[in-house]
Amino acid sequence: MKAILHVIEHDFRNFFRYKWWLIGLISMNLTDLFIMALVYNQMINPNLIENIRDYFRFFAPGVTIIGLFASAYMIGREINMEVRRQIHYYMLSLPITRLELAVGRLLAGGLRGMVYMSPLLLTTFLFLGFPSLPHFLVILGALFLLATGISGLSIAMAVSTTSLEKFVTARGLVYYVLFFCSSIFYPLSLIQDLGREGVMPQPIVVLAEFNPLSSGADLIRSFLLGTPPFTFNMIRNLIVFSTIFATTATFAYMKIIQRK
Amino acid sequence: MRLFLQYKFLIILRAIWFAAQIAFFGIIASRMIDPKLPLADIYFEYYVAGVVIMMLYSTSVFIGYDIFEEAEHGVFEYLLSLPVSRRELVLGRSIGGGIRSFVFVGPLIVIALFVIGFTNPLNFLIAFLALFLFAFGVSGMSITIAVAIKSPDRFDILMGAFNAFIVRLSTAMYPQAILQKTSQAYAALAQFNPITFASDLFRWGTGIEQYLTMDPTMPLAAIIGLVIFFFTFTFIGVTIYEKRLEGGGWQ
Repeated sequence: MKAILHVIEHDFRNFFRYKWWLIGLISMNLTDLFIMALVYNQMINPNLIENIRDYFRFFAPGVTIIGLFASAYMIGREINMEVRRQIHYYMLSLPITRLELAVGRLLAGGLRGMVYMSPLLLTTFLFLGFPSLPHFLVILGALFLLATGISGLSIAMAVSTTSLEKFVTARGLVYYVLFFCSSIFYPLSLIQDLGREGVMPQPIVVLAEFNPLSSGADLIRSFLLGTPPFTFNMIRNLIVFSTIFATTATFAYMKIIQRK
Repeated sequence: MRLFLQYKFLIILRAIWFAAQIAFFGIIASRMIDPKLPLADIYFEYYVAGVVIMMLYSTSVFIGYDIFEEAEHGVFEYLLSLPVSRRELVLGRSIGGGIRSFVFVGPLIVIALFVIGFTNPLNFLIAFLALFLFAFGVSGMSITIAVAIKSPDRFDILMGAFNAFIVRLSTAMYPQAILQKTSQAYAALAQFNPITFASDLFRWGTGIEQYLTMDPTMPLAAIIGLVIFFFTFTFIGVTIYEKRLEGGGWQ
């Protein structure tokens, strides 16, 4: 356990070395919220979001998830860089088991996402209202699951290639597919309607329904806005996503960093 | 151009972004628009035109990253030693950066035209030529900032944050009238934004503006805006290039 904490501390120190990068990232998230969402407020069909009054309130949880995703994903870039520059041999020489090293990196990625996301979540609470304590704990738990799953996804992708370009391209593909096929920007019901009308292909609708980013954003909305209603499917999706990618990343990391 | 083609993965990435913006966000967001707004019927086409301009902007910015690449490999000193004046060097790079962006965005413009269509070829030709000025100006701006900052990390962060502001405070995604309704300050900033000039011109060229309340000074105001933008950054670029690099190269 102590070894895992050391690995987490190492990754947190690295994380705060990128403070300007983090400031840049947070400014992008805030421009999305305070410019784009406010302007879309004036254009959105009122019937579509009648329960939540405006698009700004709808989008605030979405921005929190975007921030969480981007920051939890950063661990993959660092691990890819370590593999390319062969720094992982140093990590392997430490008196830490491979499993502790892999778990430490995975948890560090998730926790870094949580730390980065916290000011965005606080902003969401300030504008949408604070949840009750049990709801707050459920939100934190769900977001931690999501952050760990994202961290696992990025680590699994990072160790799959030693090429930065391929990693960045794959990351872009994952970003765009997961962001746009989710309820971050628009209600899930709208994507489902488009699926029924045949405008949106059915696999895209299914992806949006099972997308962990949709589950994360809708879970916050369900507690803060009351819509969409909370369902255990949201938690189930997050547990499945997190378990799959945390396990894959742990074993992939352990195996690949030992490869000659 | 040769440098640009080395970034094949980045080019693929931008193409994926373009496809995702149109196929997902464009289609779904167009269904979210209030049907009472005149924009509702054509928001998808409106958005596609905006995405083309966003793409042209982001690919024109690439030239700044080349500057760092050259500095790292010592190519900068070689370029400064060539029998070419600083002004010609900056101008050549701005124009080169703009042209290669067009080579990349060209097929995407064709796709966009297939989606949007265009009614008046002369208008489209004027708009298309004016977009070259936009691309040259953005390349000049990117070179200016890269040379002024001299740090690839800071440049990357600054351009990311700047990109977020300049795109959102423009008419790339929403019309000026809606920005005006949201905030006077946002509308005022958008009015002098080169992305606004380029987006409005492109829409004017394709004929989308017939459904919208456009500024009566279009396209003249937008063209003048782009000319000023281009010359400003070329002039500033030359000045900064000379001041920051003479007698010591990159370091």
